[in-house]
Amino acid sequence: MSKKAIKMSAQHKTYPFWLSIPALSVYTIFVIVPIGMSLVLSFTDWNIRRWDDPKFAGLQAFKEVIKDPDFGRAVFNTFLFAVLTTILKIGLGLILALVLYKSFKANSIFRTIFYLPCVLSMTVIGVLFTSILAKNGLLNNILNLLGLTTWQREWLGQYTTSMAWVIIIESWMWAGFNMFIFISGLQAIPRDYYEAASTEGASSWKQFTKITLPLLVPAITVNATMNIAGGMKVFDIIYILMKGGQSTDTQVLSTYAFKSFSVGYLGESSAASIILTVLVILVSFLLNYFFRKREVEV
Amino acid sequence: MKKKNNPVKILILTVVSFVYLIPIFVMVLGSFKTKGEAVRFDLSLPEKFQWANYEYVIENGHVITGYMNSILITTATTLIVLIFGALAGIYVGRRKGKLVDTVYNYFILGLTVSLQLATTFALLKSLNIYGTRLGVILINAGMQMPFTVMTFSSFIKGIPSEIDEAAIIDGCGSLKLIFWVLLPVMKPIMVTNLIVTAINTWNNFMVPLFYLDSAEKWPIPLMVYNFFGRYARNWNYVFVMLVITILPIVILYLCLQKYIVEGMTSGSVKG
Repeated sequence: MSKKAIKMSAQHKTYPFWLSIPALSVYTIFVIVPIGMSLVLSFTDWNIRRWDDPKFAGLQAFKEVIKDPDFGRAVFNTFLFAVLTTILKIGLGLILALVLYKSFKANSIFRTIFYLPCVLSMTVIGVLFTSILAKNGLLNNILNLLGLTTWQREWLGQYTTSMAWVIIIESWMWAGFNMFIFISGLQAIPRDYYEAASTEGASSWKQFTKITLPLLVPAITVNATMNIAGGMKVFDIIYILMKGGQSTDTQVLSTYAFKSFSVGYLGESSAASIILTVLVILVSFLLNYFFRKREVEV
Repeated sequence: MKKKNNPVKILILTVVSFVYLIPIFVMVLGSFKTKGEAVRFDLSLPEKFQWANYEYVIENGHVITGYMNSILITTATTLIVLIFGALAGIYVGRRKGKLVDTVYNYFILGLTVSLQLATTFALLKSLNIYGTRLGVILINAGMQMPFTVMTFSSFIKGIPSEIDEAAIIDGCGSLKLIFWVLLPVMKPIMVTNLIVTAINTWNNFMVPLFYLDSAEKWPIPLMVYNFFGRYARNWNYVFVMLVITILPIVILYLCLQKYIVEGMTSGSVKG
């Protein structure tokens, strides 16, 4: 036996396949099987009355879903939410990181504050913000104090403002997370790049666009991919701020799937879940592809 | 050489910090107010600190039950994820070949998938674990598994295999090697995954909302949401409930900040 073959067989014995079986089974049963079931059952007339006896119905559930104007709205809101929160989180995160990446004592206190919402539960944040945005809530009180009574409104009472607020809250919550990813990216950029640029008389804006940004692309990739996937899957904040996702105009895909599920339209709910999953995979893949091409080596 | 922080910057940052801190202040102050004071939602101090609010909520908010459920669900999920994930991570990180690549890619597939509400419900029903904490634990663990396996395997790849070989020459068997040699070396990534899994599970709202039907099994986020629904007029109580919910997390965060931040961010960078 060659040396390599001995090594291979030693590896074979030392790290047998069964090591992965516990993880594979939990993951397969509780993540992959439901996806497979969704794929199959969304092509049937499965609903709460035909629980045990779904019949093949072709694309009917998908047609049903796509015909539903609420679904169209949900898709639109999902993308609106995902895209705007991604931009805001990256923008705010980057600004905070640029201001705070040097290790001063004061900076670390600010970082602690800006990161705090990331460890809290969205339920708490959501309930807290209903008190801020209520008709007699903190925000309207502050506007009153500032003499801006005409600006007061029922923030969660209409589509535009309530959508704007869920986007703001989500971005507020995760900007600190993006900040830390950017900080670790910034700290990895060698100082002498900037020194060399300074001696050659490059302005700080030029240094930012020619050195900082290109070298931050990997961090942007991480943030963008995570933000967009997380944003598309949004459920909690919408559900909590919109009173259990009752109103149809602020519906997103997850709350749409929940609503069809709770009225017993299981086929439609599965179709919506599958559409969401496919969209998330597609978008994260494209985004990753787009950014990876722009990454440069340090 | 290094310049001091400039005061204008500090000032602006302080103002921005208030955007983060004011909601917290409103909540903490509100929790000590009377019902009437609390619904004014302002930053005034309470006339008299109403400690009785806390007594009332602890008695009526099922806080203890919620905590017990959260602790149970989080601990079990985290243990499953860490042990199963580490074993699979070692397999994927140390072996080479087609099968290993397939297993790895199969796990990676799960990084972006989202919860299949209706069919997961059907699955739990058919396994007879709908409405049980076990069902919630297993779903959480399954959803966390891809990330864990990925981070464990990439960490293992960075550990020189000489230490394994030395242990094997010393007569270590598979399990002994894994538990006595590899797992101790994997401590940093263990801490990362522990933190990520525990925080995700503790804060998860969707899974217990969908798959736990009785209040005595609810973890704390659901207790809060339900309490908010029942006491929507008693904002002082709602604020107490929120304070009680986040207090341990905030204390943990302030103490273990370095690990939490590093864990959560380094974990995602490796992704």
